[in-house]
Amino acid sequence: MEPDRERELIERCRRGEVGAFEELVDRYKSLVFAMIMRTIPDRSQAEDLAQDVFLRIHRGLPYFRGEARLSTWIYRIVVNVCTQDRGRGTAQVSLDDTNARVSTPVVADRHAHDLEVRDRLEKAIAQLPAQYRLLIAAHYLRGVQYEDLAEAMNLPLGTVKTQLHRAKKQLRMLLETDLR
Amino acid sequence: MTCEDVLNAVEPIAAGERQPDAGMAAHLSTCVSCASALDAARRLDALLRQRLVPTPPPQFTTRTMARIRRARWHNEQVIDWAFNAGLALIALATAAGIWIIVSRSGFTLVGNDALQLLGAGMRTFVQRVSPSLPVYALATVLLVTALGIWWWAERDATL
Repeated sequence: MEPDRERELIERCRRGEVGAFEELVDRYKSLVFAMIMRTIPDRSQAEDLAQDVFLRIHRGLPYFRGEARLSTWIYRIVVNVCTQDRGRGTAQVSLDDTNARVSTPVVADRHAHDLEVRDRLEKAIAQLPAQYRLLIAAHYLRGVQYEDLAEAMNLPLGTVKTQLHRAKKQLRMLLETDLR
Repeated sequence: MTCEDVLNAVEPIAAGERQPDAGMAAHLSTCVSCASALDAARRLDALLRQRLVPTPPPQFTTRTMARIRRARWHNEQVIDWAFNAGLALIALATAAGIWIIVSRSGFTLVGNDALQLLGAGMRTFVQRVSPSLPVYALATVLLVTALGIWWWAERDATL
C-alpha cells in the first residue's frame, strides 16, 4: 500500500469515519490470517487470534505515531499475539504419524508423493521452535520483506536471516529422505 | 573449501541470496554429499514457496467488526459506570463536607432564623396583595384576550 494512502486510511480511522476501519480489516485480513494460520494450524483458534490482532490495532491506532509502516506495525502485533499464544502450548506432531499420513502408493505416483511431502513439510514445520515457525510463515508470504520482519520482531536484520537459514536447515534435516 | 563451509552456505544459495564463489562451485561439482544438500535445500525452498496461503473465512470482516463493537460497548459501559460512581462519590463527599461545616459553624441556627424571616415576609406580602387579586386577574384576562385577537388578526394577514 502506498504511504500516502496508508496515512490517509489511518487518519480516517482515527477520525472514526464510518467504514474506514472495515477497509483496513479488509486490506490486511488475508496477510494476518495467513501468518497466524501457518503458525497455529487450528482454524478457529487462528481466526480468534486474527480478530485479537485487529482488536489491538483498533485500540492502538490513536497512539500509532507513524514512525514505522502500518504493515510493519501490524506484523509486530501478529508476532506478539502468536508469542503470547505460545504459552498455551502446541500439540507436537510426529512426522511418522501414521493416522495422518497419506498411504504410500505401490506404484510411484508423483502427485501422491508431492502431497505426502507437503503433508510431512507441514508436520516438520510444526516441530520447529515457535520463533522459527513464525519466520518461515511470514517470510514465504508475498510482500513480507526481511526488513519488515526484523523491525516487527525487534531483531537485527542479520539475526533474522541467520535464524531463517537455521530454520530451513532444521527442516531440511527433518525431511532428509523426502527431499531426495 | 570444506564440506562444512559449503553446508553453511547451502540455504542462502538455494534461496538465491548468495552466489557460490569459484572455490565453492568447484567443491559442489565434486562433492556428491554437498551437491545433494544443495538440491534438497532448493527443493525445500520451492516447496515453501508453493505452500498454500490460507484464506480467512468469508464472514471474517463482519465478525471482527462485531467483536470490536462489542469490546467498545463494554469499554464504554465500564467508563460510564466508573464516571457515575465517581460522581456519586463526589456528591456524597460534598454533602458530607457541607454538613460538617454547617454543623460545626452553628450556621443551622442562622439558617432557621432566615427561613422564619422569609416565611413571615411571604405571609405579609400575600395579605397585602390578596384584596387586589380580582383586579389583577381581570387585567390579566383582558391582556390575554387582546393578545389573542392580535395574534388571530396577524395570522390571517400572513396567509
